[in-house]
Amino acid sequence: MTRTFKHIVLALIVFIWVLPFIALVTTSLRSETASKTSGFWTAFTPTELGHRFSTHDKTEKEPFVTMSGNIFERLNKDRDSFKIEGDVSSILFKGRLPDPDKPGKTKLLRQLIYAGEVMDVRGGDFVFQPNGDFTWSFPEGTAPKPKNLVTFINQEPVFGADAYVEVLFENKNVTNALISSFIVTIPATIIPITIAAFAAYAFAWMRFPGRDWLFVLVVSLMVVPTQLAFLPVLQGFSGIASWASSLNAWMTDCEATKTCQVASKSFASLWVTHTAFGLPLAIYLLRNYIVGLPKELLESARIDGASHLQIFTKLIIPLSVPALASFGIFQFLWVWNDLIVALYIGSADSSDLVFPIRLQKQLGTFKDQLHLLNASAVISIIVPVIVFLAMQRYFIRGLLAGSVKGG
Amino acid sequence: MAQVALQKVNKSFGNVHVIRDVDLHIDDGEFVVFVGPSGCGKSTLLRLIAGLENLSSGEITIAERSVTDLPPSKRGIAMVFQSYALYPHMTVFNNMAFSLDLQGFSKAEINDRVESAAKILQMEHLLDRRPAALSGGQRQRVAIGRAIVRNPDVFLFDEPLSNLDAALRHDTRVEISKLHNQLGATTIYVTHDQVEAMTLADKIVVLKDGEVMQVGSPMELFNYPDNEFVAGFLGSPKMNFFDGVLVDGAGSDKGQFEGEGLNVDGVRLVSSDKAKGDSVRLGVRPQHLVLDPNGQLKGTVTLVERLGTETVVELISESGTSFRCASPLSLDIETGQEARFSLTPAEAHLF
Repeated sequence: MTRTFKHIVLALIVFIWVLPFIALVTTSLRSETASKTSGFWTAFTPTELGHRFSTHDKTEKEPFVTMSGNIFERLNKDRDSFKIEGDVSSILFKGRLPDPDKPGKTKLLRQLIYAGEVMDVRGGDFVFQPNGDFTWSFPEGTAPKPKNLVTFINQEPVFGADAYVEVLFENKNVTNALISSFIVTIPATIIPITIAAFAAYAFAWMRFPGRDWLFVLVVSLMVVPTQLAFLPVLQGFSGIASWASSLNAWMTDCEATKTCQVASKSFASLWVTHTAFGLPLAIYLLRNYIVGLPKELLESARIDGASHLQIFTKLIIPLSVPALASFGIFQFLWVWNDLIVALYIGSADSSDLVFPIRLQKQLGTFKDQLHLLNASAVISIIVPVIVFLAMQRYFIRGLLAGSVKGG
Repeated sequence: MAQVALQKVNKSFGNVHVIRDVDLHIDDGEFVVFVGPSGCGKSTLLRLIAGLENLSSGEITIAERSVTDLPPSKRGIAMVFQSYALYPHMTVFNNMAFSLDLQGFSKAEINDRVESAAKILQMEHLLDRRPAALSGGQRQRVAIGRAIVRNPDVFLFDEPLSNLDAALRHDTRVEISKLHNQLGATTIYVTHDQVEAMTLADKIVVLKDGEVMQVGSPMELFNYPDNEFVAGFLGSPKMNFFDGVLVDGAGSDKGQFEGEGLNVDGVRLVSSDKAKGDSVRLGVRPQHLVLDPNGQLKGTVTLVERLGTETVVELISESGTSFRCASPLSLDIETGQEARFSLTPAEAHLF
């Protein structure tokens, strides 16, 4: 393959991955109407859109000869965000005018009036400029009723964070989901890494009978599909829960308050499940990294009098930071994005739902409010992105430099 | 008193017998070099002494104490690895303090020891750096410093110079030699480089296929090799060997050799079990062949290497044996030319 071809393929892959994200972010930053009526790709260029405005408020009843105003001011007076800006291209005139063919009769006309052209509105001359300024003049002082006019505006792109404000503060669903996701994800990342690091060291550098077979067994567990294990895992948890319930009944006076039941689906059950499903890969990855550390380092530490635990804490852990970090990212992303385990094993309380389940529920409630749905989705994406950016420097394997020859 | 004694030491990896019945005695303060071609088991032997490998059978004694079943840290040894094996995430100071820290020394004591070791090695200014910021030679010094702070009975060096460039290798070799004189500790040093072995050692142990070929002082081994292997291994260029028969002198320590057009008497006969008429090999160092128009040894020049200090001439004899002659003189000799050499019987060996 030539370089250019590789670059094209690479660019294509980047494009395919980045495009949905851009779509998501763009839509979440648009107004409800805009997100509903046009695709996200139109959001970046000026578009001609129709708006309706009234010439003045009903409460203004002072007679005037010439009234001047601004279309944009009229349009934006009730808007806090997504304010309309751009050029006024035309106004749709709709009214009866004398018919030139049939004298004495009038004719209904629908016509686009452009800037600078005079238009008859309630007997007055209505003229507007592209910047939105208009004048409405009558031969003598009049107090006309406000007139609603449809205008076409070449609109500048406009964005706003309204959807985010709404999603985060309107009700507690998204904030709760955010907190629940953290409660699930952080322990479900740290616990397997800790266990796996110990196991990986043992598999890599300790001699015990059956070590290699045990390792093969652990690695082969990676192929067990998660779905296959749900039933036995659930049975196990409900067994534990009923056992805990009776222990609770026996040890406390919960019967009086009817709070003896211990939930079989909870944050803890998610931690245990994610740990169990994450361990094989974690052990495999870490073991392969740790076994590659220079043997002389460990031998040197042994001569220096370090025990296995000291070698582990003082050498292996600091030197394995890149591997620990990369697995940490894997596990964090997997748990953060997990829907199926949370759905089966996690608590079903509305306040304890994790983000993917909340998003799935919003799919129903926000069916017509794409901007809100997308805002939630973006919030759920931001956390993994931050985690990744924070940890990615550990991917650079420069830590071993200088320990052995060549460095 | 830190003698090291090995008795009937054997080591097998699975079916591979790497160390065979090694008996060795190393005196206190002695500088011993294990030398041999790669795969001869010299590093394994060192690792057995260090306790990084377990013996298959036999016994190792350090400072009159059997250490066969002791872990490395309890054997009173310190080891310098070929790859330095510095802890990359620690500063030089912490690298050196690591073992003391593990032994529970006080902060002040650790400081004292590290600083005095750093002073000996003239690297006080490096203490705050990390290994990555050091040059190869400096890393090597830190590795040695890490060994010194432990104040061991025995220093073990596993090919410590093979990662350094030629100039630095020479300097560090001199330094190690000085250091040994200064500290006076028993030192065991593994190398495949015979120059290091010859220059550093009080005693050289030549190994081949896990067996000790000969033990002795460098000059002893050079001048009186016990066997063809030792004779061929030490000295550069390699010793020449000529096939022939033992004509006279069987059973004594001087023999007469005939072969390759040569007939020399009074040659040091190494093996005492050869009978008259047995085939033997005459060994003579290239430096001991003298260009002589009347010499018995005849050869055609195939290559002339002029090294400045020495001229090495490669030749092929009439029977097809190739041999070399090295002379400090710049010989006036060309490829394809025929040359004759003579040798002094006292400088040759019969194997």
